[in-house]
Amino acid sequence: MTTTTFIIRNALRNKRRAFLSAMSVAVSLFLFVTLQVALRELTIPPEDIGASLRIAVRNKVSLAQPLPVRQLQVIEKIPGVAAVTPFSYFGGLFRNESFTTFAQFAVNPNRFTNVFVEAKASSEHLQAWIKDRGSCLVGLDTMERYDLKVGDRMLLTGTLYSADLDMKIVGTYQGTLDDRSVFFHHTYLDELTEDPGTVGTWWVRAASAEVAPQVIQSINSAFENTSSEVRAESERAFQMGFVSMWGNIKMLIDSICSAIVFTLLLVSVSTMSMAIRERFRELAILKAIGFRRNELLSFILAESLLLSLLGAVMGAGGAAWIFHYIDIQALSGGMFVYFEVTERMLGSAFLIAMVLGVLSGVVPGLSVCRMSVVDGLKTLD
Amino acid sequence: MNPIVEIRNLSKVYSQGEIQVTALDDIHLDIHPSDFLTLMGPSGSGKSTLLHIIAGIDRQSSGICKVQGIDLLGLNESALADWRNQNVGFIFQSFNLIPVLSAFENVELPLLLTRLGRPERRKLVQTALELVGLEDRAGHLPKQLSGGQEQRVAIARALVTDPALVVADEPTGNLDSESAQQVLEILQSLSRDAGKTVIMVTHDPRAAAFGNRTIHLEKGRFAEPSTSEAKA
Repeated sequence: MTTTTFIIRNALRNKRRAFLSAMSVAVSLFLFVTLQVALRELTIPPEDIGASLRIAVRNKVSLAQPLPVRQLQVIEKIPGVAAVTPFSYFGGLFRNESFTTFAQFAVNPNRFTNVFVEAKASSEHLQAWIKDRGSCLVGLDTMERYDLKVGDRMLLTGTLYSADLDMKIVGTYQGTLDDRSVFFHHTYLDELTEDPGTVGTWWVRAASAEVAPQVIQSINSAFENTSSEVRAESERAFQMGFVSMWGNIKMLIDSICSAIVFTLLLVSVSTMSMAIRERFRELAILKAIGFRRNELLSFILAESLLLSLLGAVMGAGGAAWIFHYIDIQALSGGMFVYFEVTERMLGSAFLIAMVLGVLSGVVPGLSVCRMSVVDGLKTLD
Repeated sequence: MNPIVEIRNLSKVYSQGEIQVTALDDIHLDIHPSDFLTLMGPSGSGKSTLLHIIAGIDRQSSGICKVQGIDLLGLNESALADWRNQNVGFIFQSFNLIPVLSAFENVELPLLLTRLGRPERRKLVQTALELVGLEDRAGHLPKQLSGGQEQRVAIARALVTDPALVVADEPTGNLDSESAQQVLEILQSLSRDAGKTVIMVTHDPRAAAFGNRTIHLEKGRFAEPSTSEAKA
């Protein structure tokens, strides 16, 4: 027998309690990691290589207010602007689904790939899309999810607009961080809505990251005191604007996580204290035969840590494994795309488990240290 | 022969709130190597307290308790723990084996504190189990043993470090007469044949008869000095 064997035997002496203790840590840390992953996905949208250069331009009043088409000529001429495209959200429903599972945007096909440079489509598909005003380019994820192929029809029922779209799929693209969206001709949308004079937003690609802040400032200045003042901002800032619509979700989720950890701490301390109290006499005997206070404290801390870390492996490790293999996009109805457990989250979960293990072991451990052998032996009688 | 235990003017007073309870009152005692001393007396007479002080798990309020020439009051907690591990074997009424460890592992437990390697530990444990006649029960858990066998495992655990002093607090209190007889014979043999000093607390005069010396305690003092007699 080694000291390690002794600790493991003690930790698992009541298998049901050990299992339930580890499971309480596991479930709590699974929830903690899940909330952290959700928070990350909601508050830090994934960025691709073009994001640092891209600028979103929307109506200063609100995103729902359109912008006049005439602004294009002004934006194009601003120094540092490499490309610009109209970009209007359609928000249609596909195949009678009750909610939009992929976004659809009206764009200028000739300008689109100059702004979204990471969207890779074959030149054949791109040319077919540019030539056919009633066609669309569909992300590879959506093609696969709905088992679509080039040549199929894409019928979308309008929710924001009173018109429906009937388009031919002429190509696919991939290479963006979210290969789900559908892009189609803005002129087609203009025709259907009989409103050729407005767009939802402009998306601009700056010539370099260095000039991007100046471009943002110039765009904002260019339309100051006009009937359609704009708000130009980086892609990240634009995405965060959506997140802010959720309210202070970060604080909410962080509060829930704190409550989980605190509750877990109380449960763990209570469980460990009861487990140790039941063994006071044994621990007194160990003291009597020569085990020192610090050795007994180490045993108790090691037992506590073992159970906590076992829970962390099951909870945090389980979360990483599950989220790696399940189709979270399908399960969340497209709300979450990646749902990736990062190393930092795993580190946090294991750190929490370690702190939990130490704190829940320290409380009963110190009372064992303070206990005299004689007092411990009295628990025999 | 120098005594292994020298006690002079030993007193132990417990404070229970404002009330002071005297457990031991000015005790003088010498115990010699190979003695099998039995401590008798009614409950609360101080016999267990005296045993605990001699074994280094309790401290006196005043007086001197020297074991093997060492004043135990001068040792700090860690030094006292080391001293107990090397010099004292404990046997208790309730056996107090670790339920998740086999008989072998329970006996091995005090050796984990030594620098001995696994083969040396194995040899010592086997010898100790043979001494109490339980070599064939080495792999059994305490719950798979009878009360008498459990107590014999506890004796093996007390002996495995080869201590000079073996202290037993009512070791036969939870045993049937046959098992008690076996345990007492082992303790007697330890004193007589192995030269160990055995100090045993008991209520049972028949158990006390196995010792070569009996001391009666009452209200923290020896009942009569003359009862501290040496048996042949």
